[in-house]
Amino acid sequence: MWIPTGCLALLLSPGLVRTQDPPEKPQEPAKQETPAPAPAETGKSSSPAILIRAARVVVRPGEVLEQVSILVRDGKIIAVAKDLAAPKGAQVLETEVVCAGFLDPWSALCIDSGTARDTGTTPASRSIDGFDPWSPDSLRKEALRAGVTSVRIQAGATARTGGKGSVIRVAPQLTPEEAVVSSESCVSMNIGMSANAGGGQTIEFVDGQPTAVDTRGRPMDVFDRIADLDRVTSALEGGRSYRYSLVEHKHELEEWKKKITEKDAELEKDAKKAKKDREKEEKDAKDKGKPFEEKKYKEDKKPQPPRYDEDSAVMGRVADGELPFFVQAHRAAELRGLVEGTRGYDRLRLVIVGGSEARGSVAELAERGIPVLVWPALRGKGAGDEYDGGDLSLAGDLAREGVTVLLGSGGTDPAASRDLPLLAQIAIGHGLDRAKAFEALTIGAARLLDVSDRLGSVERGKDADLLLLDGDPLGAETRVQRVISAGRIVLNPED
Amino acid sequence: MLFEFLCTSALLAGPAGPGLSNAPSKSEPRTVVLRADRLLLGDGTTIEQGALLVEDGRIRAYGKDVDVPEGAGLVTHTGWISAGLVALHAYAGAPEEMRDSTRPVLDGSIAWAFDPAHPDFADALAAGITTLVLTPQPSALSGGSSAVVKTARGRVLSREAQLSLGFSAAALSINRYPTSFASAVAELDQRFVRGDGAFGRAKSGDLPVLIEADSREDVLRATAFAKKHKLRGAIYGANWIGELAEQVGEARLAAIFGPFDVGEERRTVQSVLKVAKAGLPFGFGLDSPWKNPESLRLSVALCLREGLDRKQAWRALSSQAAELAGVSEHVGRIDKGVDADLVLWSGDPLDLKSRVEAVFVDGQRVYEAKKP
Amino acid sequence: MNLSFLALLLAAAQNVQQPKTQGDAPRKNWVISAERIYTAAGRSLEHGTVAVQGSKIGMVSSGSEDSGPESLACYAVTPGLVDASARISSGAASVEQSREETPELRVTDTLSPFDNAWDGQVASGVTSVLANAPDENVIGGLGAVLKTAGPPSIAARTVKADAVLRGAIGSQPSRRNHAAFGRPTDFYSRRPTTRMGVEWEWRRSFYEAAASRKEPARSFKGCAQVLAALEGKLTLNIQAWTTQDIRTAVFLKEELEQEPQLGGKPRLVIDAAAEAWKEPQLLVRSHAAVVLPPFPEDGRTEESAFMAWNSAAMLVELGVPIALSAHGNSSPAGNLGMQAGYAMQGGLDFDQALAAVTINPARMLGAEDRIGSIEVGKDADLVLWNGEPFQATSRVIGVIVDGALVLDPRTKD
Repeated sequence: MWIPTGCLALLLSPGLVRTQDPPEKPQEPAKQETPAPAPAETGKSSSPAILIRAARVVVRPGEVLEQVSILVRDGKIIAVAKDLAAPKGAQVLETEVVCAGFLDPWSALCIDSGTARDTGTTPASRSIDGFDPWSPDSLRKEALRAGVTSVRIQAGATARTGGKGSVIRVAPQLTPEEAVVSSESCVSMNIGMSANAGGGQTIEFVDGQPTAVDTRGRPMDVFDRIADLDRVTSALEGGRSYRYSLVEHKHELEEWKKKITEKDAELEKDAKKAKKDREKEEKDAKDKGKPFEEKKYKEDKKPQPPRYDEDSAVMGRVADGELPFFVQAHRAAELRGLVEGTRGYDRLRLVIVGGSEARGSVAELAERGIPVLVWPALRGKGAGDEYDGGDLSLAGDLAREGVTVLLGSGGTDPAASRDLPLLAQIAIGHGLDRAKAFEALTIGAARLLDVSDRLGSVERGKDADLLLLDGDPLGAETRVQRVISAGRIVLNPED
Repeated sequence: MLFEFLCTSALLAGPAGPGLSNAPSKSEPRTVVLRADRLLLGDGTTIEQGALLVEDGRIRAYGKDVDVPEGAGLVTHTGWISAGLVALHAYAGAPEEMRDSTRPVLDGSIAWAFDPAHPDFADALAAGITTLVLTPQPSALSGGSSAVVKTARGRVLSREAQLSLGFSAAALSINRYPTSFASAVAELDQRFVRGDGAFGRAKSGDLPVLIEADSREDVLRATAFAKKHKLRGAIYGANWIGELAEQVGEARLAAIFGPFDVGEERRTVQSVLKVAKAGLPFGFGLDSPWKNPESLRLSVALCLREGLDRKQAWRALSSQAAELAGVSEHVGRIDKGVDADLVLWSGDPLDLKSRVEAVFVDGQRVYEAKKP
Repeated sequence: MNLSFLALLLAAAQNVQQPKTQGDAPRKNWVISAERIYTAAGRSLEHGTVAVQGSKIGMVSSGSEDSGPESLACYAVTPGLVDASARISSGAASVEQSREETPELRVTDTLSPFDNAWDGQVASGVTSVLANAPDENVIGGLGAVLKTAGPPSIAARTVKADAVLRGAIGSQPSRRNHAAFGRPTDFYSRRPTTRMGVEWEWRRSFYEAAASRKEPARSFKGCAQVLAALEGKLTLNIQAWTTQDIRTAVFLKEELEQEPQLGGKPRLVIDAAAEAWKEPQLLVRSHAAVVLPPFPEDGRTEESAFMAWNSAAMLVELGVPIALSAHGNSSPAGNLGMQAGYAMQGGLDFDQALAAVTINPARMLGAEDRIGSIEVGKDADLVLWNGEPFQATSRVIGVIVDGALVLDPRTKD
């Protein structure tokens, strides 16, 4: 069946582009997937049911239920209603407030530092391969105690081209399946980071002792930054054209098959004559002493598929909006360039990470619905100059102009994830609306990373990742009493 | 002296200099009554619906209500009012001027490096910090003496607040004397025995010392030294000093922490609680400009989350810090006769969600936050 | 100190328990029964018991006892090992580089009771060490004998303060110095820059110190300590790796004794005498004691000295008092117990090897009244082994320091 080129755009939607010959991976929907379960374990948690009786449940920002119970079983929230009876054998917990566990969308917790700092990553690199299920317990417990139950880990977090990020649960007691919420949740790249400004480290002998010495003397120059921006746009372009070439190949293949059948039919008609002709040619050639050459038809040549390129395949998915595209950029010129350069990609889901000088492009960002993931860090002198244009009121200012704002802890220091709620409070203190801050920590972050069907709010059918608190979430004197993650109690008051 | 006078006049006369872009262009009346939802006093207690009378740069009265004199300006604030925060240990303004590693012992006061128009001070002011202790960087056995300054209006409260003594490895150098701890202690011993200048004043108890330490061994060395020469003062920089609270207490020294950053090790935060539990006075440093002035409140928030008592936390930021800096007569609390250095907050200053809305120094409004 | 970090990593990897070195070890009147008790005091017991009384040894007897919660059992007990050259210091901050002679400075002023290196020492059975400043100076200062565990205070752990006057002969002290030629001057542009210069500095110190008895104006910082060493009141502890340096040390001692203006009676301990085996008669005639460095893996030690496997056996046979040392190495292959094992491979018998890591160093350091052997009234410093000590198949499973159970043999790893 021949498809007119005008309908090419339709074909770019998932599921239609399939080829048989090259070993291309089947298209995956942009949702969570868990690695194949080990033979002895299944994905279900086998802990007993839990009934939580709460004075207040913050279902999602702005929606609070009073005096309700939540029933948790097999890792899921089974019911949220008043007057639920506790099933037999269920553990009953009483608490003041329940809300969804916080998700840190910019974290370095639970990933080994080599993977996080890797500069050789490509879009096909998988952060989940760097996930360390046994990373130090104490940091993870502290994160739980602060209310952070899941994080996005990122290979090549500061590299020019990062890998595919992954959403994982922080609690140390979970099995590796329970811990991984999504193994492919976004692709990340960085523009204009001073961490990437030329050079690196060499070993020098200082006082007879070998010491690592930074050779990064020069700050990043304008041409480097332009090159970074170009890298982003050409990666997208490469991904899109890779997808186009796959589709073209599919058409060519079908064309070719059609032509083969036509030609076969044609040759079938004159089969006898063709056979005689061929025999004559063979005899002629033998007489003359020349080697017999088979007649070549141009239809013999089968169209070759484009060479398989996993990086372009991934970028193709990004260009089509199947995976969100997290790009870290801070300076106004780079942000403008990024926003302009991605204009042609209608389905692209771009997320600006950092965005210190995003105030300059706020109208565009709001109009195109590009979210900004802000790191409300306390910076002093000595931080990279890309952060100069930003300050603590960035989150509040952007949110007021209609930009979707998320909050993250910077993705470089694993211990910083623990203090994301404090950073959120600082952002609130500098102008971010309190409800928006809470949204950023819960359903907003989950939506950003395509896990909102499982995390981010206290609703039936979602995974049971809950905080049991003694006051308002984000209250200055509130303490997390208990944490439930993947349906299991992972933190108790005495821990 | 002349320099400071000129600075002060310039500030009062016309549009504020580059460091104070948010100051209003006209001066506040000399007598002002401020009313607020809550007054936060130096000891951590509060007065609901309280009022303050400020006259000639000082607080004249405070309480549930005050008499309003003729012609007094009136400021009604929805939120809390407290004394300005006191940050111990900063290098604001000209950090390179505060480091001299050419000689082991330097005479002199950091006050000479104080440039009140530097934007570092405006940043501190915007975070609610009205008093800063400027200290020499710990690259010498004794870097001179620290100074206490205000972050607005250029006033120097004390030119010789503490004698800085270096007990950490930073005081040593590989290419100038001393290169070892043993020599360093021997040299300081000699200086105190001789008792010249600032060393003499410290020996007699008039001048407190500010000991720069890093590891617990540094703290042990410092407490032994302080006990031997009967010095009083504080130790700054040893994160785990709380684990040696007993020795620090016996030496009658205080502890200055931080500031802490996001992701601070829990052991360090617990060290603060140990110090508090042992009843030792403590406060927080700022280390600006390397650290953001907001770190002061973040440090306290981390301690509160770990369980520090709120009143103790507030005192560490205000009245107790002022005592450690030796300027508690003038700043650090709301009381009669104390300088009118006040911060108008949107809520409880110990809550990170509260913001600085306005700051008064010496009774003048020197900062007003932009309305969102 | 860096080696200790490796040991810690190894220990962590093997899930070995961390010793309690910060004053938090439980104290009881422990009763240890073992199949072999090696007292290093002349006798060994089979199937015996050692009882601790407070912080001292209360009783040593035959027969086993099981008296409840204080009883511990193991295969063998030895006295706590004494490392006469443990290289424990705080690195650069322990050496005063502005002068080449700093006899008055104490290394104990620079040590940290919190250092992880102590854990490694205890885990390998070393309960007492001689701590010295690193040998960057010709005369480095005063060394002290310390316990490796106890209250978190160096002073509380000191067995003998000012035990030795430490110095070095060889190329190490002159390494950092340079001639002023062509370089901006710093205090490293000074003598000595050669071995001759180092020797010159030694002799000058002694001559000036001797002269200062009559002419106080010639006194210098540390003069008192040099005089004490000259007069034999303070043991001289000189590091000399190679043959020529050992000769220099011995000749220096003889000069101090024989020169009339000096008239000294120095007591000499030569540390790291790797090549002592080459001219053993020299050592015999000098009456010096020798501390051997750790046996190198490939024959060459630091300073390219060549150490023979039978060094210890040869010297013992000639009557030279020797001690073995591990230079702070607490790894399974290089710790002090293993050094004793290597010495046995080289020909020492067990009792001599035991003495070389216990009573001999204690005697050399003047601390034999408290440490070095299991005798009633001495400090309760004991090491519990799960096999014959000093063999690669045995391990230290328990350590008691001053009566406190720092490493518990009952804990399952």
